[in-house]
Amino acid sequence: MKYLVMECHPGYAVLLDEEGRFLKAANLHYEVGQTVQSPVLMREKPYGRRRGRWIASGIMAAAAACLLLFFGVTYYQNNILTYSSIYLTINPEIQMDLNRKGMVVELTGTNEDGKELLEGYDGRGKDKITVSDELIDRAIEMGFLSEGGMVSFSIDSPDDALYQEYGKELMENVTEYLDGRIIITIEVENYRTGDSGYGDSEYEYEREQPENLVPETPAQRAPEVQTPEVPVQQTPETPAQQAPATPAPQPQAPADSDYDDGDSGYDDGGGSGYDDD
Amino acid sequence: MNEEHVIIQQVYAAREDAQAADRFIRAYMPFIRAETARFLKRPPIEGHDDELSIAMIAFHEAICGYSHARGTFLKYASMLIRSRLIDYHRKERRHRGGVSLDTPAGEEDTPLAHTLSDEKDYSEEMAVREATREEIQELTRQMEEFGVCLSDVADNCPRQQRTLEACRKVLRYAKEHEELLEEMLQTKKLPLAKLSLGSSVERKTLERHRKYLVALLLIYTNGYEIIRGHLTQVMKGVAAR
Repeated sequence: MKYLVMECHPGYAVLLDEEGRFLKAANLHYEVGQTVQSPVLMREKPYGRRRGRWIASGIMAAAAACLLLFFGVTYYQNNILTYSSIYLTINPEIQMDLNRKGMVVELTGTNEDGKELLEGYDGRGKDKITVSDELIDRAIEMGFLSEGGMVSFSIDSPDDALYQEYGKELMENVTEYLDGRIIITIEVENYRTGDSGYGDSEYEYEREQPENLVPETPAQRAPEVQTPEVPVQQTPETPAQQAPATPAPQPQAPADSDYDDGDSGYDDGGGSGYDDD
Repeated sequence: MNEEHVIIQQVYAAREDAQAADRFIRAYMPFIRAETARFLKRPPIEGHDDELSIAMIAFHEAICGYSHARGTFLKYASMLIRSRLIDYHRKERRHRGGVSLDTPAGEEDTPLAHTLSDEKDYSEEMAVREATREEIQELTRQMEEFGVCLSDVADNCPRQQRTLEACRKVLRYAKEHEELLEEMLQTKKLPLAKLSLGSSVERKTLERHRKYLVALLLIYTNGYEIIRGHLTQVMKGVAAR
């Protein structure tokens, strides 16, 4: 493109291009009226760049917002949102809402004693084990729990693996915490299924037989169940058992038969298989 | 601090007025020369080194683009001069394979340009340039009657192709209605309402580019044949109509 030099200034020259644009360019020793090619045009005011910068800033801000949102949601899901719950029952009943990390997000007393137990206690942000231990301590102090008492943990978790993990943790840690102080029964059960996979009275069992730390499964205990023994009598087979296909011939009872005293030991009410005639 | 305040005032004045800009640039020529010398690692030769011209246009860009947020003016100008000179050198590096016309040819140190046969008629070219200069001077004088100078027109020129096309549309309409050009010459005012209505271009667009339209319409009044001859693309648009 050709440019016509319209005006010359010390710092720049005004050029007119063939499309009718008036442009400022470096005055490379130009003279007015001269036609030039390939001038060094003055750059536009940085509006475009500013706009670009705005766009870049916008994109950065959007990215930052997305990042913040992502971390916010992740933080909310991991730390604030209730993921599982443990229902602690002594006599006081406490609902312990936990986040994904197993930290307590909310404590609620679900009965009057539970509310009383939680009065002046804030367990939010603490680990479930710590809170359980502290609540048991409070229950002992306040007289809700004494020797031979029972503590039940009902775990409401979205998956079985978490139930197993929490159950094991609670059982082991609370047992260890109370070791040598008080003998109580600890029960862990699945809130959803009602299944007590950890059995009951485990603590008591372990305390009595510390060498056997593996709790018995119900299946293992089943054979111990003793059903009352029924006295075995060598009695003749009942007529039903030896019912003949054809009518049996009338027995010819001997005169000195054992059956002649009329107390046969069988029900006389009929169905004896014997004809009284 | 006070000195910086004075410089900033001068910068803002230079931005509004072309003559103030010229004065400001002249006043800061030692600074521009020093910045160029720092880049070239030797003093620039006025009238010979293009780098000095590049530094001057960069200084002018600094005047137009300066704001408080960019720090002190002279530091900003220095940075801009340096980056423009770097850009210019990078661009020039691409053409280094060619031979300069100033290269001595033969043993007598005669520049190469002097040994080349030239079919151009320099006297004719100089005559055309003189005629063009007279036309431009006349245009400049006539524009002054409208309170417009060429620097203002350059600042006011449409940047987007769409706006440029809208201005050409106005020109086409004015060419078809000579009485509008007559009216403009007599009243020394742009008949914006009639032009907007007739060309269906928004009045806001015309107002925004008033100075440019004055220059364009004046070029297409009588006289200015050489300038019109240069505007081949604009002429094509008008002829097509």
